[in-house]
Amino acid sequence: MKLRQRPAKTEERRATILSGLILLQALCALFFVGDVIEDFLGDGQLDDPLLLLESVAAIALIGGVIFLMVELRHLLSRMSDMQTGLNIAHGQLAKVIKGFFDEWNLTAAERDVAIMILKGLDNETIAQVRKTARGTVRAQATNVYAKSKTDSRAQFISLFVEELLAENQHLGDDADQGPSGQTNKQNMRGDTH
Amino acid sequence: MATVVERTSGRASAREVVVWDPLVRLIHWSLALTVLLNGALVEEESKAHEWIGYAALGLVGLRLIWALTGPKYARFSAFPPSPAGAIHHLRALVAGDRTIHLSHNPLGALMVYNIWLSVIALGITGYMMTTIKFFGVEWVENAHEFVFGWLLVSVALHVAGVAFESWWSGVNLVRAMVNGRKSIPDGKEVK
Repeated sequence: MKLRQRPAKTEERRATILSGLILLQALCALFFVGDVIEDFLGDGQLDDPLLLLESVAAIALIGGVIFLMVELRHLLSRMSDMQTGLNIAHGQLAKVIKGFFDEWNLTAAERDVAIMILKGLDNETIAQVRKTARGTVRAQATNVYAKSKTDSRAQFISLFVEELLAENQHLGDDADQGPSGQTNKQNMRGDTH
Repeated sequence: MATVVERTSGRASAREVVVWDPLVRLIHWSLALTVLLNGALVEEESKAHEWIGYAALGLVGLRLIWALTGPKYARFSAFPPSPAGAIHHLRALVAGDRTIHLSHNPLGALMVYNIWLSVIALGITGYMMTTIKFFGVEWVENAHEFVFGWLLVSVALHVAGVAFESWWSGVNLVRAMVNGRKSIPDGKEVK
């Protein structure tokens, strides 16, 4: 199963390219600055058009390097913010999943199957991974749905998404709303039956 | 099976920490390349030797600027030069402390500054040899030779230190300098 490439990957590539450009451009800037200084120390006249051009090139290169470094700095801090957010989300999701599984009294095998369902694997793949018959997996999946009082794969998955979305809402404006995770879970059950 | 959940939560507690940004890594390996080229492959007294030397100077200069303006782990403040800290660290090592340092450990930090200063000294003495005033002056050439010898010793110590620390702390430092991530084994203390 091939997952879509995460945006973090492209950001990482962009940061690498940016770094490479900074490195090359800084070395070029060094070359031009050295050249200009040497010419001035020699018999440099400011009205020499070539020297003037070189000076402008040196200044432009230095400016470019500074600009690129600022850009890289921003990109890196954006990436690290995103990573922090993702880590928190991972931790929350893992907690939510574990909480539900405990509440439903899933067996070890059912937990395994449920996790793989959440990860988007179909029964056939799950059977391959767990080295069991497809019928066994189907029975375990049915158990999972029954215990979670859902009646389809989509509904089962949406339980968790719903939980995370509700949590978000809770953090937002509706401060006076009760412990929303709990209430939403009850609502969801009510809806499905 | 609970292990799958555990694996997810393991990732959640961020056991892979992005430490070295791409610019730090590029400068590190480029500098290593310039030292290798000028020390072993390129003929001394050639134009190429001069240019590679200036490039090395530029790399160190760029790294110093990045140490003032870059992200957290690239900054001077992440690895301040502190001989006292290094001695303290040595004592802790002898006492069996395996705490992981996200940036350089205090001893490694000293080595970083040592290598940068050596490269700068090589660059300056090397440049002096090309000027009319110092061309053929013996003490300059001797200084260049001496600092190069010192740099070789330093690089050897640096490599040995990396090997030791990787084994001691269980964090593959070479891999961290390639892909930027230190993967921290579970239950290890981090500084």
